[in-house]
Order: sequence, then C-alpha cells, then structure tokens
Amino acid sequence: MKKTKIAAVALASLMSVSALAGCNKTPGASSGTAAPGETKQAAPGQIKEFSAFFAVPATTEINKDNEVQKIIAEKIGAKCNETWLAGQQPSEAVGVFIASGEYPDFINGGDAMKALYEAGALIAWDDYIDKYPNIKEFFSDYEWSQFRQSDGKIYWMNPFENIYGEDKTTTQNGEAFWIQARVLEWAKYPKIETLDDYFKVLEDYNKANPTTHDGKKNIPYTMLCEDWRYFCLENAPEFLDGYPNDGSCIVDVNTKKIVDYNTTPTAKRYFKKLNEEYAKGVIDTGAFTQTYDEYISKLSTGVVLGMCDQWWDFAYTVNDVFKTQNTEQYGYNYIPLGLTIDKGMENQWYTSGGTLNVSSGIAITTSCKDVEGAFKFIDDLLSQEIHDLRFWGVKDVDYKVDENGMYYRTEEMRKNAADPNWKTKHLCTYSYFPQWSGTSRDGKNAMMPAEQLSEFKDTLPEPVKKVFAAYGANTYIDLLGSVNKAGPWFPMYSYSNNMKTDTKGGEAWTKMGECKHAWLPKVVMSKEFDKTWDEYMKAYAACKPEDFVAEMQQELDRRIAAYEASKK
Amino acid sequence: MARNTINSLSSADLGVKKTNKWAEAKRQPFLLISSALLLIYGIIFYYVPVLGWITAFQDYKPAKGFLKSQWVGFAKFQKLFENKTFYLAFRNTLAMGVINLVFHFVTAIAFALILNEVRVMFAKKFVQTISYMPHFLSWIIVTAIVRDILASDGIVNEFLMNVCGNKMPIDFFAVKGYFWWIVAFANVWKETGWNAIIYLAAITAIDPSLYEAADMDGASRFQKVWYITLPSLRPTIMILLLINIGNVLNAGFELQYILGNDVISDVSKILDVFILDWGISQFDFSLGTAAGIFKSVIALILVCLGNWTAKRTGDERLF
Repeated sequence: MKKTKIAAVALASLMSVSALAGCNKTPGASSGTAAPGETKQAAPGQIKEFSAFFAVPATTEINKDNEVQKIIAEKIGAKCNETWLAGQQPSEAVGVFIASGEYPDFINGGDAMKALYEAGALIAWDDYIDKYPNIKEFFSDYEWSQFRQSDGKIYWMNPFENIYGEDKTTTQNGEAFWIQARVLEWAKYPKIETLDDYFKVLEDYNKANPTTHDGKKNIPYTMLCEDWRYFCLENAPEFLDGYPNDGSCIVDVNTKKIVDYNTTPTAKRYFKKLNEEYAKGVIDTGAFTQTYDEYISKLSTGVVLGMCDQWWDFAYTVNDVFKTQNTEQYGYNYIPLGLTIDKGMENQWYTSGGTLNVSSGIAITTSCKDVEGAFKFIDDLLSQEIHDLRFWGVKDVDYKVDENGMYYRTEEMRKNAADPNWKTKHLCTYSYFPQWSGTSRDGKNAMMPAEQLSEFKDTLPEPVKKVFAAYGANTYIDLLGSVNKAGPWFPMYSYSNNMKTDTKGGEAWTKMGECKHAWLPKVVMSKEFDKTWDEYMKAYAACKPEDFVAEMQQELDRRIAAYEASKK
Repeated sequence: MARNTINSLSSADLGVKKTNKWAEAKRQPFLLISSALLLIYGIIFYYVPVLGWITAFQDYKPAKGFLKSQWVGFAKFQKLFENKTFYLAFRNTLAMGVINLVFHFVTAIAFALILNEVRVMFAKKFVQTISYMPHFLSWIIVTAIVRDILASDGIVNEFLMNVCGNKMPIDFFAVKGYFWWIVAFANVWKETGWNAIIYLAAITAIDPSLYEAADMDGASRFQKVWYITLPSLRPTIMILLLINIGNVLNAGFELQYILGNDVISDVSKILDVFILDWGISQFDFSLGTAAGIFKSVIALILVCLGNWTAKRTGDERLF
C-alpha cells in the first residue's frame, strides 16, 4: 500500500507541477466571452495548457501530438492534458489528491465529488455561469439548481446524457440483458420476454452450435462481478420487476416509498435461476474471478452468447474489435432485450429524455490559476464548431457533407473511426468534458455520429440489420419496448453514489455492498440454494439495510418536495 | 560473527570516553555531521509523521485540518473494533504474515546451506545471481507473473492437463484453501535468493579451523552443517527474526489486492486493503489512521515479546 500511495502522491505532485507550468505560460491571457456557436481564433504561441484528471480508466488515451487536439487548440487557444485512472479505485485516487491538497485544473472525481467539495478543493460556479452562454445553456435553471451543494452553491456540471433539440437516441446506452444476433437468427427471431425464455434460447442455441466460427467453445452466459462493476450481477432484480435504473433501490410509484430490491421475491427468483443455470454449466465458471479486462477480451472473441451489462461498459471496445477483426458477419454483435420476471409486464430498461446525474461531473479546482480561462475552455468545447470537431472530426477527412448539408461518412472513414490507432493519433473528443447528444444547432444533423440515423443504419453490421428488420425496429431502443414512468426524483443513484460511512445509511450501504460481494457468488454456486439464500439473507439483515432505506426515503421526500416547489 | 562485532564496538566506545571529548570531536567533523544528518532524517521521517496519529482521535476533515477537526476520542477505534471485516482482515494478515515469516527463514537458510556446499565456484555464483534477481522485480510484476502461470490456460494448468491428465483446468483463484499458499509461494520465489545472501556472508565468517578440526574427527558433510554451520548462524538468525517479527502484519499488498476476488475475499482481504476500503475510499482518514495505529501497536508488542524471549533463552537480542 505504501508503494502505491507514494506513486500516487508523486503522480499528483507531477500533475500539479504541470498545471502550474501551464498557467505560467500564459501571462495576461484574455478571458473574453464568446457568443454561442462562435469561437475566436487565437494567435499561435498563446496556447494555454490545462490539466485534467478523470476518475475512470481511459477508453482512449490520445497521443501528445494528436491532430484534432492541435486544431482545436489553434482555434480556441487552449488545450487540456488528460490523465485517467490507472489500476486504482476512483475514490482512492481522489482520496490521495485530497490528502496531498494539490489538484489538476479540471477534475471529475466520479462518485467522490462530494468529498472534493467537502475538502474545499472546488471553485464555486455561481459567479461564472452567466458569463459563458454555452455553459449556461447546458441546463435549465431547475436542473442547475439540483447541482447545489449544502452551502447553496454549484461546483460541477455533469457532462453526459443531455439532449439538444430533438432526441436522436438510437442506442440503449444503459443496462439490458444482451444476446448475440447469431442466436436470434438461429432461433428464427422469437419473442423473448422473460428470464426463462432468455436462458432457454441460450441453452438451445449452445446445444445446436457449441462453437464460434473459428472453433472456440461458446460461453452461453457470463457476468462481470469485479468491484463496482458487479452491477452486472446484482441489480437486475429492479429491472426485472419493471422499474427504471434508480441504481440502488426501487421507488414505488404509487406509495412513493423506497423498496430494497435485494430482498424482493423477484431477487430470489433471479438468483435461483442463475443458480440452476450455473449447475447446468450454462454460466461461465470463471465469471466470479474474471477482471474487467478479461471479461472484455472474452466478449471480443465472440464466444459469449449473452450477459447483463450496460452498453457503455462493453460496446465501445467490443463492437470496434468486431469491426476491425471482420467478425461482425458472424453475428457476434449484441442485441438488447427488455426482460421482465413474468410475461406481460411493462419494462423500463430504457428511460428517455436523458438522465441527469447530479452526483458527479466536471469541476474546476482551487489549484487552477486561470479560472476564467478554464470556464472559457469548457464553453468553447460546447460551441458547435468545436463540438463537431470533437465528435465528427475534420471535414472531408473524417466526414463529408452532402448537398443538403447532411453529414455522412464513407466506408473508409468509418473504419478509421473504429480504429484504435486513428483514435489516439487523430481524433480528440475530450470525452469527459460536457457534450451534447440530440440534434445539432443546424437543426438537421445529430450531435454525435452514432445518432445520425442514416449513419447509424448504414454502419449496422448485416446480422444486426436483419434483427432490426425481423422485429420491425429502427433503433436499439425500439427493440426494448420500454415505457417511461420515471418520476421527477429519477435517478436515485445520484444520491446513493455519494453516500459514505459518515452517516448511518452510508455505513449500511457500504456493508451491504461488502455482504453482496461476498455472498452472491456463494448463492449462485451453491449446491443447496435455499439454505444458502437464507444464510445470505441473515448476513444481509445484519448490515442494517433499513438504515440505508430510511436515508434514501428522506432524500426521495426531499426531491419530491423540491420538485413541487419548483412548479409553483 | 554478530556477537564479536558488537563486543569490539563497545570496547571502542570505552576508548573514546577516556580521551578529551572535544579534541576527539574536532578530529572527526565528517562523522559528526553525517550522524547529525541521520538523526535529522530519522526525526523528520520517523517521528514527525507520528504526529498524524492525532487524526485517529478526531473526525478528521482535510478542509478543516488538524486544528479545527472535531475531537471524537476513541469513537473511531470503537467503529473499527465493531467492524466484522476488520477482524477477518486481521486474521488473514496475521496468517499470511506468519506463513511468510516461516517460509522466509526456512527457505533462505536451507538455500544458503545448500549453496554453500557447492564446490564449483562458477556454478555457485551463477545460481546465486539468478536466484536473487526476482528481488529486483516490483511486486506488481510478480503479481502479474503469478496470475499468468496460474491462469486457466497458464503453464501450471497446461502441465496438469497434458502430463497429469487433469480433465478441467483448476481455477486457482477460486479456491479459498489455495490463496495463502499462493502468496507464500510468490514470496519464496521472489525473496529466497536475496534473503540467503546475508546467511552466505555469515557462513564465510565462520572460523575454518572449526571445520578442519571436525575433519580430523571424521565428521561427515551433513554433520559439519548440523554441528558447526547452523549453530554458528544462530545469532544472525535470531537478530533477523527479531527484526522481521515486527513486519508480520506487513504481509504484502499488491498480491492480495490484485489477486483477491469476491469468491475468496474471506481469506484474501488483508488489513492494508481494509484500510483502503474503509479509510481512504470512504474519506474516513481517521479510521484508516486508527487501523494503522493498531498495526503499529501489535508490531511493537510482537517485537518486545520476541526480544524478551530471546533474553530469557540467552540469545542475541535487539535491546
């Protein structure tokens, strides 16, 4: 532990040194404001350098001499050197920053934002928001107000899942039970509604076709349980009961009461099913010991027929591998299913209209020497020209524009966009800075290439196109058939993510997590399910989940009251 | 031999006392300055950090600092001792620490004795160099190596399946009974060669006339090792044992942190990981400090106990 600590402190000090260097290079740099969608050209040699730390592992780490980053820097006069989480927990990394008191200019501490706020590490945004139109535009006043902390001020903004203009969502970014297109094709596109249907199809397919195209043995079902990613195993019961992703609990819409999904009859049925399938050898025996990297490489070979996961957790990496390896043709791509525990229930796997997670986001720290410049940087990144550069790339290199002003990509451009090499040396999305989805300010195109309907449809692999045609769907969302009943309190995880052991509820929450981590593998692997389940329930009750539920109830009541008050 | 060195040192000290101290001091400015530097180093890096211990008695918040954080007495210790995971982690740490300690001594001494019997100088040097090289790898590399060789398609499983006829690969990281031994094995692999160096050095200091006398008496090779080499090593062994006993609760971190998983967390979680989970990750720095103090107190008790035992049996001791 000492070694890691020292390394982290060294890293932190290194980063802060580079932050200082960045600020020193720009004496008297102007901090003017720009109109929305417009950016000023900066003189060369005047480029400010910021530093940023994101408490997530990098999906792509861009090169130092990245081409688009350079173009953006020339246009807005600033660039940002991003550092990502490596081999640590988000809260560990943030804990080390706090202990050292030195921060990068920008920080997204994930679930540890509240701790940064309490450590006095962040700059309050209230005096700045009005000066930067692109930032102000990002949220409505009510939405901004939800970011207020205990002292009534705003310290960060969530960069994701915000829709500009018309919603163009094509992909289920969240959770689902996924199934490979080849399984559906073989089964002649059946209607799969319940967990039982799902496992039956997987089993039948595996009996008929035990291997992949290159002779590797299929794994009918796997689940990731590593650390915080164990949601792939543990939170399906809330969805199976027809509730949306509140993450840590169910909110009963009628009674407005918090329900613990870990102890519901559905939870027991779900784990009993997993237990049966495990005994049958349908579930990957290595599921409980695999790391995230191992899981992703397993998926990338195409051997895994199905799993429960969130799209962002696997698809960006895995789908790109299928594309570059030319294995899409075998139907390895994953299709989401909106399963419920019984037939004929509504499901809410997908919740439309974007999700505002106020518990985390990007913040500017007290170590930043040029606060105005940092705000201007965020503001500039949200202007349409720069936004296009970030996500579409360079015109005529990464995309073309037809006579109607619609953006499109050639086959080569698409291959490039999926190529890890191209992503590191050419593209620069500043992926954890604020970004829009939905419709571009030109009113025609999508903010993101993946949401451009023509682009989306053209890039679908053949087997997935066939699935869409068979089920009469235009997008992945259509396949799920979700209804939207999420209340104004949604999502509750934006509160529970920040819970720490300093409250009774938080302590219960941590213990519940530890208990589930230790017991769920036992439950699934048990030879006597009912006995193990009862033992698990006893151990679980000892964690005092009622303390957690009580605190969540308090927050739910507060949110409902705040919403009612805002309508008046 | 250690005992001789200590004796000669103390007689030198006596000699200093008889002469004029100031005149003596003037003649050795370098010695004085360097020892002063060492003293300052010790104070800064070993004593000043102990001040941080007061955070264990506070509800420490970095924004408020030492002075303004709320004092909570022993509340953090109470919280610590009420936590079941803490006891689990303590047990695992102690178990792995003791296993490591035993293996450390047995393998290092055995290796030194065996190597000492090698008569071909080149082979001896060669084996010694190779054997201590893993010491220079960082633990994270060793962890990756252990993970790879024990993976379901790793060398061990390949061997078991192709040579021993196992049908299914063994998932070594999913069986609780294996974990402590995997850790012990990794420690042995990494440190045996390095730990043996000091014994090899001590062996070369043994008076050759003892062996010659034994030869005259017709002692076999094994008898020479048993009646001369081992007893001569005894003071060295005792001193090293006393030093290492304080480190029993530092049973490693990377191995347990990386190789542990949900299935075996009951045996893999150690105190340092517990401190990370419940201290740093929860921003409860006070709880982490309290656990750290607990570790130090236990280490101190162990060292004192060891020293007291050594005193009783008349062996070499630290203080």
